[in-house]
This record gives sequence, C-alpha cells and structure tokens, in this order.
Amino acid sequence: MRKSTLLLLFVFLAFSTLVMAQNPARVTIKGIVQDTNSTVMSGATVMLLQPKDSALVNFSRANDKGAFEFRNVKNSNYLLKISYVGFLPFQQNVKPSETDIADLGAIKIKPISQELLEVVVRTAKAPLSIKGDTIEYNAASFKVPPGSSVEDLLRRLPGLEIDASGNIKAQGKDVKKVLVDGKTFFGDDPKAATKNLGAETISKVQVFNGKSDQALLTGIDDGKKEKTINLELKDEYKKGAFGKITGAVGTESRGAFRGNYNRFNKKEQFSILAYANNINETGVNWSDYGEFKGNNTFNQNDNGDFGFGGGGRYYFSDGGGITDNFDGRGFTKNFGSGVNYNYTYQKTKLSTSYFYNQTDLNLDQFQNTKTFLQNNSFSTTDTTKTTNFRGNHSIAGRFEQMLDSSNTLITKASLRFSNSNGTDLKSQRYLTQENALRNAVAINNSSDLNAFNFSGTAIFRHKFKKKGRTLAASLMYNVASTDGTDKLYSLTKFFAAQDVNEQIRAISQLNQNANNTNFLKGGLNFLEPLSKKIYWESFYNFSNNKQEVGRNAFNGLSNNERFDSLSTFYQNDITYNRIGSSIRYSHAGINVSAGLAGLRYDLNGKVYPKEGTPLTTEINKSYDALTPNLSASIDLKNNTYIGFNYNLNVEAPSITDLQPVVNNNNPFYITKGNQDLLPVKSHEVGLDLYKFDPSTFTNISLWTSYNYYQSQVVYNQEVNPSNFVTTTRPENISGGTRFNTGLYTSFPIVKTKLTVNLNGNVNLTNNPTFINGVKNETNNQGYNITLGFSITPSDKLLMGLSGSLGFTKVKYSIEEGQNQNINTKGLDASLKWNFAKKTFFETNLDYNGYKNDRFGFNQDIPILNCSVRRLLMKDNKVELRLAAFDVFNKRQTITQRGYQNVVTNQTALTLARYFMLSITYNVKGHVDKLKKNNGW
Amino acid sequence: MKKILIIAFILFSIQMYAQTNEGTVYFTRTTYWTKMNNQLSYLSKQEKEKMTYMFAGKDDWKEYMLLHYNDNESKYVASEEKSEESEGYAWRKEEFSVARNFTKNTMLDVFEILGKTYIIEDSLQTPNWKILNDIKEVAGHICMKAMIEDTLKKQKIIAWFAQDIPSNAGPERLWGLPGLILELDINDGTVLIQASKIESKKLTQELAPPKKLKGKKMNEVAYQEMLKKIIQEKIKEERNPFWFIRY
Repeated sequence: MRKSTLLLLFVFLAFSTLVMAQNPARVTIKGIVQDTNSTVMSGATVMLLQPKDSALVNFSRANDKGAFEFRNVKNSNYLLKISYVGFLPFQQNVKPSETDIADLGAIKIKPISQELLEVVVRTAKAPLSIKGDTIEYNAASFKVPPGSSVEDLLRRLPGLEIDASGNIKAQGKDVKKVLVDGKTFFGDDPKAATKNLGAETISKVQVFNGKSDQALLTGIDDGKKEKTINLELKDEYKKGAFGKITGAVGTESRGAFRGNYNRFNKKEQFSILAYANNINETGVNWSDYGEFKGNNTFNQNDNGDFGFGGGGRYYFSDGGGITDNFDGRGFTKNFGSGVNYNYTYQKTKLSTSYFYNQTDLNLDQFQNTKTFLQNNSFSTTDTTKTTNFRGNHSIAGRFEQMLDSSNTLITKASLRFSNSNGTDLKSQRYLTQENALRNAVAINNSSDLNAFNFSGTAIFRHKFKKKGRTLAASLMYNVASTDGTDKLYSLTKFFAAQDVNEQIRAISQLNQNANNTNFLKGGLNFLEPLSKKIYWESFYNFSNNKQEVGRNAFNGLSNNERFDSLSTFYQNDITYNRIGSSIRYSHAGINVSAGLAGLRYDLNGKVYPKEGTPLTTEINKSYDALTPNLSASIDLKNNTYIGFNYNLNVEAPSITDLQPVVNNNNPFYITKGNQDLLPVKSHEVGLDLYKFDPSTFTNISLWTSYNYYQSQVVYNQEVNPSNFVTTTRPENISGGTRFNTGLYTSFPIVKTKLTVNLNGNVNLTNNPTFINGVKNETNNQGYNITLGFSITPSDKLLMGLSGSLGFTKVKYSIEEGQNQNINTKGLDASLKWNFAKKTFFETNLDYNGYKNDRFGFNQDIPILNCSVRRLLMKDNKVELRLAAFDVFNKRQTITQRGYQNVVTNQTALTLARYFMLSITYNVKGHVDKLKKNNGW
Repeated sequence: MKKILIIAFILFSIQMYAQTNEGTVYFTRTTYWTKMNNQLSYLSKQEKEKMTYMFAGKDDWKEYMLLHYNDNESKYVASEEKSEESEGYAWRKEEFSVARNFTKNTMLDVFEILGKTYIIEDSLQTPNWKILNDIKEVAGHICMKAMIEDTLKKQKIIAWFAQDIPSNAGPERLWGLPGLILELDINDGTVLIQASKIESKKLTQELAPPKKLKGKKMNEVAYQEMLKKIIQEKIKEERNPFWFIRY
C-alpha cells in the first residue's frame, strides 16, 4: 500500500517535472528600469497587463536600484507597462518563459519632450494619448482669442508649423490632407478647413503618420501614405432641433394654430413660437413657455432684493404675458408670436427676446351682490357686456458676465408697449331687502389706453478671497407711463327720490388720464462667515417711487367744460430705506437665523387742482419701525423637514388713502382720504412640516400660518339707507386675523397600481370694519377637502378619480340673520387608454356644484371632454386627433365670494360645446405610450 | 539642458516619493443631470432634447468629498464644505462612508438608501481595471488612464491615477490601481469626481471606524442585488433610479 503510493507520487513528480521542463507553470518576471542614459528609475510603476484587453493583472514598483520583480505569477503572455513621471508610458510584450525566472534585463524608457509636458500637460491641461510613438492631444484646451481660425490654433500646438501662406508641416513633413470628423472638407486643399473653420469648433487634433494609423482612427483607407490632420468637431457644434406645429378646425367656427421650433447647440439657442385661436387660449402653457425661453427660463436671484422679508418690496413683471392667463370668463380671440435667442459661452450668458401678443375679449356676465347693514341689507344686480382689446409688444434682454473668478455682473432690460381699448355696457339695479327696486343705472363706458414701460436692472456680485465672504449690489430703474381716455355715459333713476330733480341723473363725461411713474431701487448685501457654522448677513435697501397722476374730466352735457370736482393732478413721492442684520447658524441640515431691521418710509403727496396751478394740499409723512425676523429650516434624518418663520410686516399707507380728497368717480361709491393713517403692521408666523419616504413614495406635508394685524387699513362705510350711496374712508383698526392650515398626503395602496392623495385645508379670517358707525366683524370660515385616487392597472390604461367638498361660512356680527353658507362640490374623473396600436382614447368628466341657500342659488355644471388620437408616419411624427369639448353643452363660469359686509355671486358665459379635428407634426416624433409621471 | 531638466524631474519625483505616503485628497463631485437623464430609456427624444435645451449650462450639481489615505487604509466621506452658490446654508447630508483596508483586505461601507442605513461589510474583491496609454495632469500630478465597467449601473468609468503617489486608494468605491486615483469620469462626464487639492499630512482620527453603527448589515453580493432591484423597480415606475441611489 505504502509502496504503491510512493511509486505513484514518484511517477506524478516525474511527469510534472517533465512538463515544467518545457514551460514552468509559475514564473518570476524581473527587470531593471532605466532611462535612455542608463540612469536607474527608482519608484517607476511597473504593471503586468493581459495583452488582449489591457486588464491589470499585477503591479509593482522599481526599487532604489531600478529593479522590479513579479514573483510566482502565471506563466503566460503579458503586456508589461512602465510608467514614470516625465516619461512616455513604455509597453513590451512578455512571452511565456521557458525557465523559472524571466529576466527582461534593462528596459529603457524615453522622456516626453519637455515642450509637450510643459505646454500640453501642465499648461493646457490636455490629456496626452500615446499610441506607439504618436502622441495625440485635446486641442480644446488651447486658448485662442474668440474668432480665431483653426490655423491660429494649429500654430500654438507643439510639433506643428505653419508658414505664411498657410501650408502645414507636422513633425517636419508636409500635411497634404485635412479631414473634419474623418471626412474631406470642401475638396482636397488642406487650407480650406484650417482657414475657414473657427478654432472654437474643434475639440481634437489628430496627426497621422501613415495609412495604418489613419485607418485605425478614422476607418478611411485611401491607400496613400501621407501626413494627415483630422479635426474633430466639438459635440456642441453638433446641432439639435425640436418643435411641433398644430392646426385645428372645429364646429361653431372654432379654430386654432400653434407652432414652435427650437434649434440649438451648446452655445446658442434659437426659438420661435406662434399661436392663434378663438378657443380661449390666451397664451401658451408653462411647458411651451420653457421651451421658448430655453436656458433663460430659470434665472434666480435676479430681482436684486436683499435681506429678509418684512415689507417695502416692489415687484415688476418682466413683460411676460406669454403664458395662458384666461380666467374662464367670456370668449376670446388670441394671437401671439415671438422669437428668443440665448447665447451661453464660457463666462458670458446673453438672452434676448421679442414677443407680440393680443387678446380680444367678448364677455357677458351677471352678478348679484348683497350688502349687509345693521338690521338691513340691499342687493345689486349687474348685467354687463364687455368688449376689450389688448395688444402688447415686449422686448427683453439679459446679459450675465463673469468678469473674473470673483466678480459677476448681471444686467437686464425690458421694454413694453401696449394698447388697449374696450367698452362696457352695464345695467345695474339696486334692490331693497324686500326686493323693491330703488335705483336703476344704465352705463355705457368706453376707454382707450396706451402704456409704455421700461425696466433696467444691474446686479453685481463679488466673492472675496476669504471663502464664503460675499458682497452684492443692485440697482433697478423702472419708468412707466400711461396715457388714456375714458368716455363715461350713464343714466340713473332714483325711484325713492322725492324731489323731481333728483329722480334722474345723467352723466356724460370725458376723462383724459396721464400717469407717470419713476421708480428707482438699490440694495447692498454683505455676507461674512464668522466661523464654519455661523454667518453674519447685513443688508441695506433703498427705493424711491415718484408717481404723477393727472386726470382732466370734462362734462359732455355742458359744452365739455372741465369738471373741477372730478379732475385731479397729484404727485406722490415715497422713499423707503431699510438697514438690517441677521446672524445665522448653518450646519448639518440645521439653518436658524435671527435678525433685526430698522426701516423708514418718507411720503410726500402734492395735490393740485390742475397741472401748472398752485398746490392745494400737501402731505408729508414719515414712519419708522423696527422689524424683527426669525427663521429656521431643519433638515432631519429620514427625509423629514421642518420650517418656521416669524416676520413683522410694515407697509406704508398709500398716498391716495392719505389725501383728504373726495373721489366721486362712481356716484354710488364715494371714497375719501384720511391724513392720519398709520402704516399697516402685521405679525406673521408660519410653520411647515414635510416627510417623504422614498421607498414607497409616501409623502405628507402639513402647513400652518397665522397673521395678526396690529394695525390694518380698512375702509369704513357710511351707507345712505334710502339711495344706497356708499361713502368709504380708510381708517386704522387692530384685531384682524388670518389663519390657514392644511394637510396634503399621498401614499400607495397597491404599489405602482393604486395611489391615494388627500388634501384638506382650513381658512379662518376675521375682518373688522365700521359700517354706519357700528363695528362689524366679518368672520369667514372656509373648509375644503379633496380625496383622489390614481389608478394604473397597466401601462395601457391610466385612470384618476377625485372628489372635493368646500364649505364657507360667512358671519356678520352686526346682522347675524344674514350669515351665509356657500357650498361647492366637485368630482373629477379621467381616463387615458391606449386601446389599440398607436391609438389613444382620453376623456375627463369635471362635475361642479355651487349652492348658496340665501340667494336660492343652486347650480350643477357637468363638463365632459373626450378625444381620440392616433399617431402616424415614421417615428410617430404626425398625430391626428378628434376631440369633443363640453359634450353636455353646460359650461359657464361661476364665482361665489363673501368679504367684509358683501357677498357676491357671479355667472359668466364662456365657450361651451364644440368639436375639433387637429393635426400635429412633431419634429422628434410623439411618444407612443402613456406617461406615468410628468417628471424625469 | 534637456538632461538637466530630466534629472531635476527625477529628483523632484524621488523627493515626492520619499514623503510620508499619508494624507487627505479634496474632491469635487459634479453631477451633470441632463446627461444623466439623457440615458433614461423611458424618455422620448423630444423630452431629452427639450431638457437639454432648457437646462443647457445650468445642469451641474456640486458636492465636496474627502479621501483620507495611508499605506494600509482609506476612507472616503462627504466634506462639510459648502458650495459657493449655497450662501452658507447647510443641508443635511446622507450617511455615506466608504472604508477600505488593503492589508486586511476588508471593506466597510455605510450608505443611506431610500431613507434606511445599510452597512456593507465584506472582503475586498480585486477590481477588473484596464490600463490605457494616456497621461494628463490632475491637481499637479501626472496621471495615467485606467478604465473599469459597472455592468449593473451600466457605467463606463475612466480613472486617472497618479504616477507618483503609490497608494491603492481612490474615491467612490474604487481602488486597486498602482497609484492614488485623482479623477473619475463616469459615463462620458455624467459625473466627474476631480481632486482639487492633495494634503500630505499625518492623519489622526480620520481613518477611525464610525463609533456607532446602526443599520442593516449585508455583504457585497446582497448589496448589489438590492441595487439591481431598486434600478429595475424605478425604471418600471418611470423614475430616475439615480435620484434614489448614488450614480
């Protein structure tokens, strides 16, 4: 037994020795790394790679004698690679060794030319790509002045020479051919490309020694062996484009056109947009607006306001009006068109746009208003027919320049011209509590207005050497002027008037209005990091608003002589100064800040009987206030967020409210000023909570805010009980409150198939006013709840169902018998079904009910829309769609509101049932499936 | 002249080599998320073009990371440094730490994924690097190019490792090259992790393991399996999986 084992072992050993004698299974590979002068290269990195894919097998470092050794490695083919700073990476094939030790001897590595290393690698920071003895590098890293040609670029590259006439030599040899992205560029003249192409379009320059290299890199084998340069274009010069165009025709003479087209590369963006319709789309949606504006859609920190909130801020829109802002009332004809151009390159961002839009409105509406007095009430019914035309031209530009690494300048300007004209035909009836007709008014007003607005802003930001210390300064100027005429005709019958002369009153009045506003604001902000966690922020805000309002009223019934009582000319000047400071702790998700600001309003108002005459009244008021601010935002573990803020808002009263002038433009609603008004002061507290579970997509959000008016400006009313003429006067009152709290949550019941969302909110407000000398507190309680389900049984079917209930209770302390209950209910059901190949059916039912028992008002409006669409042609570029809007022909717009001592109920006619056939061409093709999420 | 320069180079490199091989690398990690979204299979051509259009030049998101290393170990963590755009505000950072021990051949990673903390403990698996023939400079060091593929996340990762810092360490979860990794380029610049500064210093507590470790423990295979499940699930829901896991 033992003998046989030994024998077996012996045979086995003998056999393995025999095998090893041919080629050992494991070897030691060693060698010495030297440079071309035989200096040893200690510390050189030596790597063993798989020859087929360069996979790293083992690595080592040369010792102080330049020697390296790989012990006991598998005996096979290797690629030995040596790398050392300042030397070309060296490569050598290692074949399986016949002996135990494969001694590669002295390996000499070549230095990289000093020029390449310093100019290309260190200065231009371009990677060097080494293929045998050929070196390639990224030309994009070489800075040449804007507008330079490729020739200028090539002059800067080591190893290339260009003579005066533009002939190119690479490593001393003539270059016969210049390719662009591997293709011949305008014939065989190498200078055609180098002289005509801009240097900024090139990403890589490759120089080939011969056919093999060229075939390897470009895949083109022209059979010649000559020096060739290939210029690779930058990706950003490979252009992109997208856009779509829709045309639609419908019943009831409805039609729509919409189109947008965008072209871009990384540097430039160009877009055009146009629409025209009579289906109440007064503009485009936010998504199309974003496509139009491109990378200029999101520009934050552009308003130049610094410091925490607390009043005194003025906002100006940048001449938008491109997005749809239809309020649901009436019939409109719309047209809009514009272009946008953005340029973004290195440190410069430029955006410009021009847009023209117009809307022609035709509106018929009926409004019922109930006004409560102590122990009494009256109601008003208005039947109005309005036509209005509005057209706007707007030009906007924005320029942002990084002056250097620490300074940035942003400048913006926008210019807008608009004109509008319209007529209002109105029949107004005043009824007593017992529904007896007291007054009847017939009104025929028309107006014509031209407006001009210019706004310019400059914001400068500076970063100091100390990290985190910054200074920002802003300046903004806005000038606006309007010039218009109003023609007012009305005939009023006072049925309760005893005197015959007072039974009928006719007005024929012509108003010429000219208003001018000059607004200047500026600010400074300084941020100082006191430590890594504590920041100190200081700010200064300034603004001055000069307003000039002129109105000349003429009496059409009396030879157009001037109505002095209805004419006015006044100048307002409001200066605002605020200085403040806050300390903030910011670390690991906790940001808490406390601050204090001092502010001052200086108001000056001058009233003249007419322009150029001595003034009759002058108001000079100054208000000072100290406003504290507290805010916290805390980012906790498990995606939980808490936010808190406290503000004291101080707003100066408006000069119009301060002027002791009677305004009797509306004979039923006369306003008087009050010189003793104090600023509005309100304390505002807010708390937000948010939690999100990313694994289930469950989120819950809770918010609450509370406002307390320490001082509020309210319009106290004196109502004449016989003719219902109301006279109001602004006065300060304290005790008004506003409270709002809400909850939103959404969570899956069946993962990816069924999701529930629930939204509830409560609004409580308390508004005190004096009515005929008696304090009335109007208490509004609003409750809303919405419960929704989104159901996704398959990729082909998406459904949504949601129901909502709203309840508003309005209580009047002076007349509790008049308390109102306003109810709304809604049901929304939608379905999207991809029922056949490239064919989709979409429908939604929107059912709303409105109820107010006091008015005896109860109306249900079901709106059903359906459409079927089919994608056609290659890449689904064409979509054909047939749609039915408001199948039940029920659409009208109802608004119910209760405030102060007034409740209104408004019904407006609008576009109801129509059918429409549309065709859309999308340059990039339509999506052939239903979208589950709107996000990315 | 050339010779002198070369010798100067050699002396310089030797001097570098002789330094303590220990310190901290400061990395800036930039995510270009329109590039990331462009890789999502469920978005249409139109949506991708539109997104690229609207966020051109404004789609980068910067984070700051630290890599502590010595001859035996490395640890990669988030830095407390705030970006210049943050105006000093600090947001909570998710649990994130990648520790490697090259002598003991072990790894200990702590990640927060979908709101939960996971501890991945395992032995080190040799990464499958390919060495390429390009050199470039990163943060003052001449680096060589290497490449690796992440088949699960479908990423082609280019690494640039220093010729003159002999360390196996690297940022993210990568390691195992003959020199310290100073730059990573994931999927053609979708995420760039670039060293801005290398501080050679004696480390004190930086490499110490986290004191309290609370979370679900798993090995590398289970971790990869979990990532696979999340990626599949989010793609099905038409959500970008890389809002939920690290790219």
